Amino acid sequence: MGQEAAVGVKDGGGNAGSSSVSRFVSVVAPLLLLASLAAVPLVGPGPNIVRLLFMTLTLVTASVGWNLIGGFAGQISFGFAVFYGLGAYTTALSINGGIPPAIAFLLGAVVAAVASLLIGLPTFRLKGPYFAIATIGVSEAVRVVMMNVPFTGGASGYRIIDKTRFVQSHHYYTALVLAALAVGISILVRRSKLGLALTAIREDQDAASDLGVNPFIAKLAVHALAAALAAAAGGVYARYSLFIDPDGVFAFRNGIAILLMPIIGGVGTIWGPVIGAFVYGLIHEEVVANFPQAHLLIFGSLLILIILFEPGGVMGLLQKFLRFVRARSSVGSHS
Amino acid sequence: MSAADFLNLFIAAVLLAGVYAAMSVGMTIIYGVMKIVNLAHAGFLMLGAYFVFEAYDRFKIDPLLGVLLAFPVFFLLGMGVHWLLVRRIATSDQPTLTSLLLLFGVWLVLQNLGYLIWGNSDRAILTPRTLSSIEIGPISFPTIRLAVFVVAVASLVGLEFVLHKTWFGRSVRALMQNKEAGQIVGVNVNRTAQIAFGVGIAFAGAAGGLLAMLYSFNPDFGASFQLRAFVIIVLGGLESFGGVAVGSLILALAETFVILILPASYQPAIAFSLLVVALIVLPEGIAGLWAKRRRWA
Amino acid sequence: MAPILKLENLTRYFAALAAVKDVSFEIEPGGLVGLIGPNGAGKTTLLSLVAGSLKPTSGKIEFEGRNLAGAKSFQAVRAGVARTHQIPKPFRTMTVRENVEVGLRFGRREKAAGATKKAEEFLDMVGIAALARRPAFLLSVGDLKRLELARALAARPTLLLCDEICSGLTETESGLILRLLCDIRRAGTTILYVEHNLRAIMSVCDPVIVMNYGQKLAEGPPTAVQNDPSVIEAYIGKKAMI
Repeated sequence: MGQEAAVGVKDGGGNAGSSSVSRFVSVVAPLLLLASLAAVPLVGPGPNIVRLLFMTLTLVTASVGWNLIGGFAGQISFGFAVFYGLGAYTTALSINGGIPPAIAFLLGAVVAAVASLLIGLPTFRLKGPYFAIATIGVSEAVRVVMMNVPFTGGASGYRIIDKTRFVQSHHYYTALVLAALAVGISILVRRSKLGLALTAIREDQDAASDLGVNPFIAKLAVHALAAALAAAAGGVYARYSLFIDPDGVFAFRNGIAILLMPIIGGVGTIWGPVIGAFVYGLIHEEVVANFPQAHLLIFGSLLILIILFEPGGVMGLLQKFLRFVRARSSVGSHS
Repeated sequence: MSAADFLNLFIAAVLLAGVYAAMSVGMTIIYGVMKIVNLAHAGFLMLGAYFVFEAYDRFKIDPLLGVLLAFPVFFLLGMGVHWLLVRRIATSDQPTLTSLLLLFGVWLVLQNLGYLIWGNSDRAILTPRTLSSIEIGPISFPTIRLAVFVVAVASLVGLEFVLHKTWFGRSVRALMQNKEAGQIVGVNVNRTAQIAFGVGIAFAGAAGGLLAMLYSFNPDFGASFQLRAFVIIVLGGLESFGGVAVGSLILALAETFVILILPASYQPAIAFSLLVVALIVLPEGIAGLWAKRRRWA
Repeated sequence: MAPILKLENLTRYFAALAAVKDVSFEIEPGGLVGLIGPNGAGKTTLLSLVAGSLKPTSGKIEFEGRNLAGAKSFQAVRAGVARTHQIPKPFRTMTVRENVEVGLRFGRREKAAGATKKAEEFLDMVGIAALARRPAFLLSVGDLKRLELARALAARPTLLLCDEICSGLTETESGLILRLLCDIRRAGTTILYVEHNLRAIMSVCDPVIVMNYGQKLAEGPPTAVQNDPSVIEAYIGKKAMI
């Protein structure tokens, strides 16, 4: 599992040369990515690019988080806007209450984790589509409630009074660190006993239980972790934009986006959600700028095409490509 | 509250239940035959609403007639969607993630098409019928609700007829019970699935038209009704037509009578709460309870 | 000696149909008990009830003195009961070895260190060590059956429930599996073995329990059961096989 899982490429006993190449790539490539992302604000590309990357990085965190429960465990939740929103509001309330931002993000994560347990306890007993439907219901219910709760401003939203000076790169690096942390957690889970349990549950929950896996604890645990990450993303976003409202952070379309990103990139892999977040972030920016009225159309069609032709997303395409290349090169070496 | 008031509310609930049943039955058919949860149902409800609206607005076709026209039009549309998209994905005895996401994508596309074609302002279908009512003693039936109810029930009766008296209907019932056995006795699974999908969408479109006669609508229209349809089929057991009837009645009664206790803005919450309660307490729906009850017979 | 497994009036309904009805028997520790019966007799349902995959409608299941009725299957595994499935349920995208690792690490006495090596030992026991790195979805039915057994054994059960472990295997492979079951039994694991292959059962099991229509028909040593008139009646035409 290990390194190969990190790239999402299965090496089924190919020759030693290509396996050490892929090991090299799977360690060096992410580090290069991290380094280049860290360097971005230093080369001065302008606030718009930095803002775009910042948003994308928060999306990476939420996407990687969702992938833990949706990809690793196979429990498709349409309702992750709940956790994103809870993170946003908790962070906003905390910062206004004088709590330092790092703690505020953590509080948001904790609140979301607790919420995930409350949601998960009744819903994880449900099989596949029932669970998905339930998450839709919960997501919308929370949004409706938040619209009516006066304490947080209701439908008119909530403003953060940030006493510190706005330094864009601070927010950027916060998002970057969080995203890196998310990916790190993802890798750790994948390699752990919990990861083994989740894959077993995803493949066949009953068979997993028949071998001693407690599916309820496993799902609740990973759900909490996923919720915490989504909430942290929401918190970081809230602190940046300084204004949040239920129709913004709790919107159903946020839940859709969080689900769509891992699917685009490759659901169930480590790097798929990251790739998907970047793809989504860029397309989203382009679409909103040039074709705002075709937003759902583009993403809906993208989803349909992926489901029909390459359910493995970008990572799936990449795997096929690598297999093709490997087959070509081994043919060449025999001639 | 007087007896007459109670009766009025009760009748209103029953009339509503009829429409709700017609709205949900489409999902039941599709799920039963193909084990696909049709998340695009909302989109077709919306299209049905606009179809009947345009028929009335441009061609002065009576909305009730528009609804009847919607059946064949949406039947063909459904068959088309199946041929284009749905038949390309693998289905199994268990609902698949793939089908869920595919139809979700279709819903997103339909929603956007709705916005592009009709914009996001509210529309309504207003006919002389809309504001009149029929009085029998102390009870008054809003004419429009009565008319809608009649059409809904008639279409459900028609469906029952098809299911029990035609070869297609028998194939559908066979596949709903056991796909492999159906194949063995000669049911053409693909053809039946395609037709079943068409019928499901036909009901979605027609029901959308019926609902458009009762409520104002915009491209977001389908979502809240889709949620109600979920509640109904979860209450009813996802694959049982009798269950759909019972579920519709329960939801309609709950929504109608809750006005006595809570302010109207909480009405959407009723569907949510019932959904969550139903999912937790009745994982197999009312039909499950019904089946268990037979044991003691 | 106290029985390791004691069933009392175990019953399970599916709607109006009694799949298992008032079944009672005991299994001594270290026994290799066979469970036979025509198709639809309720054998697999019975196994599922003992394993915790299904909840009984009524009746008692006592394992090592503890009440197991209503326990979920992962709880039963922790207590020491593991099962194989009649229709194999592999974890399709995992390799064969990883499948066994699940049983190893989540069954009783799980230790992560050396899991890979230990997993291969179990694969070796059932004869599919060569397939260790192959994704499970590529396996033939016979190999999947053997994977089922390896997986269940990796969970270190005290009571192993085998469901038609030999169907899909050749004579030679079946012989290997039967010898393996005898070895396991000698090492201290009790086995309840459901099988359709009557010759296999009669050759290794004692006692043999016969079920039909959800109820226990007969129980006793193989020869006695073979000659029981009600058993012969249930298996009309099959007597020639024995």
